[in-house]
Amino acid sequence: MSNNKNIFWDRMQNLDRRYIYIVVALAIIIPLLIPFNSKTYITEPVENLYKKVDSFTEREDRAILMCFMHDASTMPELFPMEVSILRHCFERNIKVFTICFLPTAAPLIDYAINTAKEVGGFDVQSGVDYCNFGYKPYALFLPILLGMGEDIAEAVETDSEGRKVENLEIMKNLKNYNELNLVIDFSASASVQTWITYARVKFGANIGAGITAVMAAENYPFLQTGQLVGMLGGLKGAAEYEKLVDVFASNNVVFSKEIVKETWIPITDKNIPYQFKTARIGMNAQSVAHIMIIVFIILGNIGYFVSRKSKNKELG
Amino acid sequence: MKRQIPLLIVIGLGLLFVVHTFVPHKISEDFYEWWQTWSKAISPFMVLLGIMSLFMVHSTKIKRKTANWQYSFVTLGGLLITAFVGFMWGTREGTPYMWLFKNIQMPMSATMFSLLAFYIASAAYKAFRARSVEATVLLLAAVIVMLGQVPLGAQISHWIPDTSKWILNVPNLASKRAITLGVGLGITATSLKILLGIERKYLGGD
Repeated sequence: MSNNKNIFWDRMQNLDRRYIYIVVALAIIIPLLIPFNSKTYITEPVENLYKKVDSFTEREDRAILMCFMHDASTMPELFPMEVSILRHCFERNIKVFTICFLPTAAPLIDYAINTAKEVGGFDVQSGVDYCNFGYKPYALFLPILLGMGEDIAEAVETDSEGRKVENLEIMKNLKNYNELNLVIDFSASASVQTWITYARVKFGANIGAGITAVMAAENYPFLQTGQLVGMLGGLKGAAEYEKLVDVFASNNVVFSKEIVKETWIPITDKNIPYQFKTARIGMNAQSVAHIMIIVFIILGNIGYFVSRKSKNKELG
Repeated sequence: MKRQIPLLIVIGLGLLFVVHTFVPHKISEDFYEWWQTWSKAISPFMVLLGIMSLFMVHSTKIKRKTANWQYSFVTLGGLLITAFVGFMWGTREGTPYMWLFKNIQMPMSATMFSLLAFYIASAAYKAFRARSVEATVLLLAAVIVMLGQVPLGAQISHWIPDTSKWILNVPNLASKRAITLGVGLGITATSLKILLGIERKYLGGD
């Protein structure tokens, strides 16, 4: 019996990795195809970013800049964040600008704006309610970042449609970071630290981050110092922001901790369009995948200890 | 001269930027504006250089029929087709460029990135062992943070997300800050070495 047990664990130790791949694939695909309701808990960095964005509601002299610093590979995590924040801005009449310094990010901006605008049915106009600065070569990242501290229109010059930025209606009452007071950087790298180093330190702009889960740990020191006003970390951060927009912004309600604690929005609710709950659906898959990985770790360790014990016995 | 002139440009401009950061004078501001105009003018040439380099590398591969040279056709074809549809019909929603982006670029990039999940699961099973005290601590921290990141963790017990938060806010933060400080000191030291002409490896050669 004991021998059979050892053979089993030895086999498990040398399990073909393709079996692991199949289990992981199923653990991800099934929850995506059959969504189930799970609760979304709001964390402080997400709450702070939401509140900062919300504080610009209806203000003519405040705007947000969203910097898309990633390509399509990290879209599953970052795209729902971008759509949620754009939706928040459109719901609450907040002026919003978008920019990117990677050519592969340019279509993502169009895609995110169109998703938020069309699925949400918002009557917003380019150049009036929002403005896409479009793609600027990476070599201009620092000159534009620093230049916006003096004069946005001079630093950026034209938007994605080739219009002079200074002539756009949205630019009324906006000059530099004093008004473009919140920059949110979406990336899978440490690019947000460049915004902190220059836009925050030199000009006092508020900086927020939307970042992939693997990079989130890097930014905790900046959250603690207040150099980052808030952060959306991975799909979880995106799911939390989606919920906040559903509970507050789309119902024109001011943020309250009590309401958010008590409110539970089932993702199977047909009234919420699919595009506005992708992160929460994705969190189901992530939950199952995390559990699977934990089970793999436990199984691997049981096998390791059983094999070690039997080897020790053999050696006497 | 091939090394001296670039060295002088780097040292001269580097020192000017240091002065600009610390001296808010009119001349310093003018210099900064002058640099901004120049950097805008230079950037399109960098894109051109990149395209030329890509063409040279892949055309050489095709000519010499090196390993996997067939893929170079795909790279060059992709570049030409994407550029052509972009110039012809623009890059906005509803254009062929956007169709290519949504139906080729997006799924391919996402597929590559999603492979990470499979590798992590496989590595967790095959290599994540409690071989020592340190490895056990790492393993426990990983399990708690993974559970704390998903709704199920909070449903099991509020201790899981609370402990996960503590791990991220205390030991993780302390180690990240130490690394950041170390990197910062390293950058300062390297910058000084470049400004003083001690560090010259970036010029190429030995």
